Order: sequence, then C-alpha cells, then structure tokens
Amino acid sequence: MVKLTAYEQKMFQGEMGEFKQKALEFIVKYAHVLGAEELCEITRATLFIGAQHYLDCFETDDYEEIFSQFYLSSDKKIKMGRFSDNCVCQTCAAACDLSDYVTTHLSKEFFDRDRRFLEITKQAGVNIVNSCTPYYVGWIPLMGEHFVTTESSNTLMSNSLFGAYGNSDGIEAAVCSAICGRSPLWGNHLKENRYGTVVFNIQCKSDTVYDWDLIGYTVGRYLPFSEKPIISGNFKRPNINKMRQLFSALATTSAAEICHVVGITPEAHTLDMALGGKPPKKIINITEAQYKESEKMICDPGSGEIDYVNIGCPHLALDELRDVAFYLEGKKVKDQVEFLVWTDYATKAMSDANGYTKMIEEAGAHVLTGSCPVVMKEESHKHAKAMVMNGAKQAHAIKAQTKAKVYFGDIYQCMDAAVRGRWEEGEGWRK
Amino acid sequence: MEKIIIKGRPAMGGIVEAPALVFPDSLAGNSGSLQDKTGIIMEKGNPNRGLSIKGSILVLPCAKGSNGFSAHFKAAKISGVCPAGWVITKVDSRLGVAVASLDVPAVADFEEVDPVQVIKTGDWVKIDGDTGLVEITRNPL
Repeated sequence: MVKLTAYEQKMFQGEMGEFKQKALEFIVKYAHVLGAEELCEITRATLFIGAQHYLDCFETDDYEEIFSQFYLSSDKKIKMGRFSDNCVCQTCAAACDLSDYVTTHLSKEFFDRDRRFLEITKQAGVNIVNSCTPYYVGWIPLMGEHFVTTESSNTLMSNSLFGAYGNSDGIEAAVCSAICGRSPLWGNHLKENRYGTVVFNIQCKSDTVYDWDLIGYTVGRYLPFSEKPIISGNFKRPNINKMRQLFSALATTSAAEICHVVGITPEAHTLDMALGGKPPKKIINITEAQYKESEKMICDPGSGEIDYVNIGCPHLALDELRDVAFYLEGKKVKDQVEFLVWTDYATKAMSDANGYTKMIEEAGAHVLTGSCPVVMKEESHKHAKAMVMNGAKQAHAIKAQTKAKVYFGDIYQCMDAAVRGRWEEGEGWRK
Repeated sequence: MEKIIIKGRPAMGGIVEAPALVFPDSLAGNSGSLQDKTGIIMEKGNPNRGLSIKGSILVLPCAKGSNGFSAHFKAAKISGVCPAGWVITKVDSRLGVAVASLDVPAVADFEEVDPVQVIKTGDWVKIDGDTGLVEITRNPL
C-alpha cells in the first residue's frame, strides 16, 4: 500500500481538481507496480509531447480526449488543468522542427497539429523548448533534486553527472508526475540504490565524441541486466559533449539509468565511493576489439553512393555547430545529398548570431531544431537510399524504420560523405 | 502434461492465461522497435521480429532502450493490440510504467528463478497478479 501525505490525500480525493487527481491516481498505480511505499516531490520535468507518432493510434483530433486517454489513462475526457506550479516543465525532443516542415518532408497539416498540441500544454504550464539536451539551455536539476525526463540520455546525464535523482519513467508517468508533482520514491530516488555494481575498465580509445559514443554502446552491450555501470580505467578525461554521447549510446543498448565515471561524476570521486564500499559484482574490460565490434554492428559494410546525411544525435552544442561551420567553409554538399544538422532552437539562435548557421547553410546543409529522423519517422526519410549518421543511437534506431544502407561515422566523416556524395568504407570504421 | 509453478511479486492484479512470448534480451523502447499501430516487433536482431504482442503473455528480464518504452505499448493497446499479461524478472521504471499503463495482470521480481530461463515461447502460462503465482504448461510441440 502506498502511503500518502495529507496533501497527497487531498489531491487523491479530488480537492485539487480532476486533472491532478487522475495524474496522481496513475502515479499511485505505478508506485504499486514498482513496490514503492511512498512518493517524492518532482521539481523538474522534460516531456516528449506534442503530435508525436505514438499518438497516431487516435482517430480523434481532440487533444483533451487524446491527453486523457493516453497520459491520464482515463476513458472519460478530463478538462486540461495546470501542470504542477512547483515543477519546471518543458518539452523534450519534438515531432518536427519549430518552423520548417518542408525540408523534412512533413505536411503542413502535421506541423499545425503539433504546434496546436504544444500551445495547449504551454497554456497549462509546459514551456516549448524542444530539446533532448536540455542541460545546454539551462534545465539542470541539482544534486539530490528529484526530476522526471522522457529522454533516456538525459536520465543518465541528470543522475550521473548532476547527481540529481530520477528514473526512466516513460512518457505517461513523466507527464502525470509533472502534473501532480509526485513520483514513486523508488529506484534512483533513493541513495542506497544509486551505487555502481559493475566496473568497466576502459582500454580502448577515448579521445573523441565518437569514441565515447562507441564506449557507451559497448558498455551497454556487456552490462548485465539490472546492474549499474562504473566507467573506470585509463580513459582520457571527457567533457560534457562526450558524456552526452556516452549516455545516449549506453541507453540504446541497455536500460542503464545511472552510470558513474570515476573522477568525473559527483558520486564517484573514487572507484570505492562509486561502489559504496562494496566489491563489484563483475569487472569487464572494454578493449579495442570490442570497440571495433560495436562499430561493425552499427555501420553497414562497404562503400557507395549516399543521399541522406544526419548529424546531431543527441542535439549539438554551440561549439560543435562552430566546428561544423568552419569545416564546411568553402565546401559544397553534393547535389543529390540531403544533409541535416540538428540542435535546439535556443542554441540555433546563438549559432545564427555568430554566423555559424549561415556558413553551414551556404555549404548546402540545413540547420534544424528540436527533432531528428528517428522521432519524425518514415515520412521524413523514406526516400533515402543510403544514409550516413552520427550518433550510435540514431544509426541503431533508424534501422528499424528503413531498408536503406546505414553508415555510421563521426561528424567529420559525415561531412566528408555529404560533400563527396559517397561513403568510403576505408575512412569509416575500418580505418 | 508437465506443469511448473514459480512465484514472484504481484505487480498488477487479475488472473489471465495465454501463450508466452519470451524476450531473452528484452525489447528496445526506441521508436520503431515496436510498431505503434500493429504491435508488431520490428527491432533488428530481436528473435521475435515480425511477431505481434497481441494476446500473449510477455516474458522479459527488464526493459531496454528509450524512455519511450511504455508509450509504444500504450499506442498498440489503444489500436486494439494488447498483450494478455506480463512476467518480469526484475521490474524497472520503464516496464513499471508500461504495466501501470496497460492495466493487465503482471507478476514481477522473481528471486529464486529467472522466468526468462524457465519459460519458452509458446508455453501456456497462467498468471495470478494478486498472489504472484505463475503456472507454466510446456508447449508439447
């Protein structure tokens, strides 16, 4: 039985309106499934909402009806109320770019629907931010702060690097938590569950964002179910962009929600601290051979013509947009190639102000915001015959949506391929 | 007929019986791994690729991949494609939301045996979400 405070009881009984009551009912049911005994207060949320494709199952266009059934698990239509006033709520990755639906082959009808849905939740208290890397633009939960997020890499980032407390709750629960301001006090919300259990000794390359992408993918492949990884060994000190890539890929091949990096993350000043003084359940070496095996799993073999290049999974930081701009300076993207570069719109505004967007667009690429091919789904990329992707998560997940060849490389290999109109195997994973 | 009984923690109430669909390496929660409208598994490398979740008891070690995990099951349910129940070795937050959201019987958190090792795809499984008992009848084929 889940124990509720007097405040929560009032909400549960409907004294704060039906909207909050239904949200809390779901959270209590979820707490029961987990075996949680009480709830904790949530003060930050990022939500994967708008006209996302998981809502394509609805025939109705009435957002309140959709919202009630999907997020609140209520067959009865509930009037949209306010999200929690004590919770900073914003949108996660979006169903399409904030203003451009033409470049990504989506319809005006779909774009309008997405904007309409986002306006409704904005009125209810959810800022339109459209970012899967919200920490670049100020959404940073502090150490010990309880958060919810629908972005798996952000769950890892917020738990591991910021020392905040959260689980990979999923969309329905995250939305309900953002409305009622509560989540089950369970899992990573409790310090005793946050210690690492399996140590990964990094023996492979760890210089670039691409290396950390592959480290994340590989650690995820070898992480036993329900265990918590610790990154240890002789790695090069990573920055936040490399952490982003590590966590994004790790959440692709595993269900990890927290990952300590010795000497980098706040609950892992030392290996012993990360382990909570207990011996590790397992120690696994990540070697160059395993790194290369991961590359081979993500990147299709061979060379060939390409017509679709995508970088920015997760969304790029301003310093990376600068690197892209200067690398593309004086170069031209091949005519048949569609080249998309993804960031969030706040970062794009900074890129505009610095002239980076103009440089990238003059080379023939498109700087887009808020979304990505996997989230936009088949409609946006079904014409592609051969794709080049950066981001192991994107390259891995797009394969479920396409029969096209999918090549995987770092942003420079992606840019070279876009300019040449070809993927050259020797310059990719077999270099 | 050989019957095996194992016990876990009751996670969602109700009794149901149906054939098992076992996911030894779970199912990725990323968009496209489970088709939202049809409930067909599309994840590359998944042994159940091409099969539907409809009417089966899903047996999983835990969840995997995107935090969107539950949403794809929910979309399938709204489209009329719902699994009959869940047997989960150790529940995590992604799967916990899916169980709460689909509202079908579930048993989780097995301490002595791993249901993913014990149950085979096609076995007839009866689960009691109020007591945590799971009764397995081997598929004779």
